[in-house]
Amino acid sequence: MARAWKPDFEQLVDEHQSMVFSLALRMTGDRGLAEEIAQDVFLALDKGLGKIDSPLHACHWLRRVAMSRSADALRRRRVRSMDMWIEIEEQHGAIVEERVSALGARVESLLATLPEAQRAALVLRYQEDLTPEEIASTLDAPLATVKSHLQRGLKLLRAKAAAHLKEYVRGS
Amino acid sequence: MDDFERELRAAVQRQPAPSSLKRSLMERRRQARVEQHRRMVWFERLAASLVLAGVAGGALAWRKAEEHQKGEEAKRQVFAALRITHRALEEMKVQLEERDSR
Repeated sequence: MARAWKPDFEQLVDEHQSMVFSLALRMTGDRGLAEEIAQDVFLALDKGLGKIDSPLHACHWLRRVAMSRSADALRRRRVRSMDMWIEIEEQHGAIVEERVSALGARVESLLATLPEAQRAALVLRYQEDLTPEEIASTLDAPLATVKSHLQRGLKLLRAKAAAHLKEYVRGS
Repeated sequence: MDDFERELRAAVQRQPAPSSLKRSLMERRRQARVEQHRRMVWFERLAASLVLAGVAGGALAWRKAEEHQKGEEAKRQVFAALRITHRALEEMKVQLEERDSR
């Protein structure tokens, strides 16, 4: 069967750059590094564009590669969660606070302090609105592991929020 | 979904990518293509050089083999001539011995 969809690289960049950049930013906490990762992801897409057969496939591929490249970058740089939190506060605090409430900004900062696997699951769940099954497929992890990371991550985030924010004591 | 999850969802909305991202990306893509083209040209040159070297080497080996073959043929002819001469001399010797004995 002939392929109906012909990928346009520039159009794919326009459509997905925000998603790829945001995933990398939330995983690494470094705006410069996130931009570099996003560029690498799109360059990899450009190389393998012939293997992409639908817009949905492109989106899934980009998410998957963005997450794995971010994990690689984290491993390389051995970023510590607390350092990242400080970095995010310094570099993005103004931007974040313009966009969301002060509480939201604090929650986002706290998210950056979670262990990498839990953060990845939560970012895909709440930023990308993916189901646990889709997250498992994106991270190439067992579904049970993803569910566990989601539960533990959310619990830990609530606990951290409770410690920092009196408004979120309920539920903890 | 409770209030906390709603707050989390709102906090982790996608952020707009910096405008420099696409610009830098397209520049890197252009450079990568130039580099790829350059590598391809070098590869083609290398392949052409290897083919030329192969052809030249083959021609040289063929010529050497042909010369060797010609040498062997000449050697065979010399030996044949020597055999004929030897036989003629033997016959002459026999005839001379017969004449002397008479």
